[in-house]
Amino acid sequence: MRPLAITGLGVCSPLGIGWEAFREGLSAPPGGAFTTTPTSFTAAPHPGLRVAEINNFDPKPIVGDKGLRNNDRLTRLLLVAARLGLEHAGVKRDGAFTALGPTEVGVCASTAYGSLEAIHELDSVARLEDPRYLNPARFPNTVINASIGYVSIWEELRALNATVTNGPTGALDAFDAASLWIGAGRAKAVLTGGAEAMSEGLWQAFRRLGALDEQPEGWAPGGPVSRGLRLGEGACLSVVEDLAAAKGRGAKVYAEVVGYGAAFEPAEADKPMVHVSAAALSRAVRSALEGLDRSAVAMVVSGLSGLAVTDGPERAALAESLGGVGVRAPKAWCGETLGAGGAFGVAAAIDWLADERAGACAVVTSVGFYGNASALVIRRPE
Amino acid sequence: MGVVSSIGLGRGAFWQSLVEGRSGTSTISSFDATRLGRTLAAEVQGFVVSDHLTAVETRRAGRCAAFALAAARMAVRDAGLSDSALRSERASVVLGTTMGEADICGMLDARWILEGPDAMSPRVLPKAAPYLVSMETAQGLGCRGTVLTLPAACAAGNYAIGYAADLIRAGRADVVITGAAEMLQELQFAGFVRLGAVAPERCQPFDLDRQGLIVGEGAGVMVLESEEHAVRRGATALAEVGGYGLACDGFHITRPEPSGAGVIHALREAIRRSGLTADEVDFINAHGTGTKANDAVESTAVRAVFGDRRVPISSIKSIIGHCMGAASAIEAVSCVETINSGIYPPTLGYSTVDPECDVAVVANTAGRGRSDVVVNHSLAFGGYDAVVLFAKPDRLPSPEARGDLS
Repeated sequence: MRPLAITGLGVCSPLGIGWEAFREGLSAPPGGAFTTTPTSFTAAPHPGLRVAEINNFDPKPIVGDKGLRNNDRLTRLLLVAARLGLEHAGVKRDGAFTALGPTEVGVCASTAYGSLEAIHELDSVARLEDPRYLNPARFPNTVINASIGYVSIWEELRALNATVTNGPTGALDAFDAASLWIGAGRAKAVLTGGAEAMSEGLWQAFRRLGALDEQPEGWAPGGPVSRGLRLGEGACLSVVEDLAAAKGRGAKVYAEVVGYGAAFEPAEADKPMVHVSAAALSRAVRSALEGLDRSAVAMVVSGLSGLAVTDGPERAALAESLGGVGVRAPKAWCGETLGAGGAFGVAAAIDWLADERAGACAVVTSVGFYGNASALVIRRPE
Repeated sequence: MGVVSSIGLGRGAFWQSLVEGRSGTSTISSFDATRLGRTLAAEVQGFVVSDHLTAVETRRAGRCAAFALAAARMAVRDAGLSDSALRSERASVVLGTTMGEADICGMLDARWILEGPDAMSPRVLPKAAPYLVSMETAQGLGCRGTVLTLPAACAAGNYAIGYAADLIRAGRADVVITGAAEMLQELQFAGFVRLGAVAPERCQPFDLDRQGLIVGEGAGVMVLESEEHAVRRGATALAEVGGYGLACDGFHITRPEPSGAGVIHALREAIRRSGLTADEVDFINAHGTGTKANDAVESTAVRAVFGDRRVPISSIKSIIGHCMGAASAIEAVSCVETINSGIYPPTLGYSTVDPECDVAVVANTAGRGRSDVVVNHSLAFGGYDAVVLFAKPDRLPSPEARGDLS
């Protein structure tokens, strides 16, 4: 892939809002962000309810309160991450451009399920009252790309706007799309990464699938026992630019994105579509590392979530393709954030690489639920 | 190429109906829309899933993925592509959609609302993901390369086709199955009605008295190949994908920006990245939704780029409805048919010139003319503007000559 510079990070996470707050959260033992009493939705009491949410999330201190009325939670998370990312990269200050311009900056981000909150809200009106009472100002929120589209509206970013949806691998795939588009001269900088919002629908769906860890203690993704995932939420958007161009404008480079691979393995005939493929991840990792020095890989920043059916193949693939390299699991801190997962993985990799002397690179991995897998290679800047 | 549409299954039936101007609009059969005061849509009727999918796929796939996989299988047959070319790490799937499996999502939500969360079946939940359009297609065809879904609302087809071309040009794939799929669903239909966007009887793009769009559904899928791969297997190219242009209005989530700056940029970029000039464009497949705002802005953009040269323009949404995410993919198929036949499909319902839409509409009956270079417009929710240029094989300058701009 064409090397990219990450010149800013906008993080809106359960560990904290802002890059430094996120790093501080990562330096503490995992688990602190999980709550049994979420503020993002009201559910009947359930003993297994444990999610990593941004408690009492309030976007107003970051983006102000004008125009937020009809935006859903997913959009608000993204707006906060976008504003912080652009300011962190020195592209904007106090809402005004200080480097580059509106037609030079784009957005390419992932969400796995869009706004289930908005769909449920409107479905409830249609089912319990009358579809004629649907609020037309809220309807656009049900469309998957709406929340990411709002980022361009709020920040006046006119180069391009794209949404990727590919389950948990989506954010890594968005980095690759951003790289292709920057390489083709469609934008000079792209806000890329992903977002997923906590909602009762998301939690109930994973609960009904039997995918959740519901024990009060002992949950440790990346540890020896996988007994279920815990959901998280957030938005994480990196500002990426052509490496030489970023250095040319004097931007601070937090990391370089130097490799990407993606692969898909179909399920065996007549087997369920839901399957996780070790072979796909092995191929994705090999492809991501093509042309790079494998001995420079200091760590794998994995997608391990605590769910055995996904962790097993991911572990097998990592042992096969990167045996001997330490494997970390940022989802122990942030939970399974699906469309944002790879983006938080990248952010964690940047933080962990800063203090790592075993090598300059981290391979960020993610496996999808239907046979797809992706890997991204991050390098600490020289 | 493969098509699932309200006017026919397969590219032959689809094109025949388009040329003859046979509208796909009918009374909605999949849900009762009476209360909404709008009861018409361009619904795909007579689509028997098991005619196109295996028994296992038929049980598993939602309607949107079934449309995508059926159209993909038609496209693969049309291309004469072998199983070995498909079952390869060099074969990818990039599809667009707006909502994916909207009916499954809506059904699960209805059970939850009416009966409680435990009524959501764990057997059904895995079928609801919006990205299953691509996963099911890759699974069905056996592709093993990149598999990606781009939910770019009503520009999703153009986004997918452009990105597929990027993958091939970057040397990352030899073959990409690309296009988009969308299905008609109650909540989304009601939403369009509540936005005031749905016409009571018919869609009349660019007409002074236009009253809005007719919602449609379907899928359009094409097989994109590298030139080298196509030549090696002795395939006949139907058309070449030239450049494409993307822009974002950054203005309003549903309304187009009045100056048309984003569309103008996307259109100019599609032409420039193809190594061509505006003078060389022969035909425009319009986004042409039939809404007041879209058609006026799109006309402004056409005038800004082509000046006084009156390039023939048509909107087949007057025939197949607005198929949302699938729209620009199905319309891409139509563009390629135009390139191959020299026929411009008609814009139905056009009778009164709108001074705000001063463009050369191919009105009511099909036209004929030069068709070497065709552009496909799409404007979408989120302020998305995407234009793809298609050309007759060997019509475009070589990548070397155009400096690999695309």
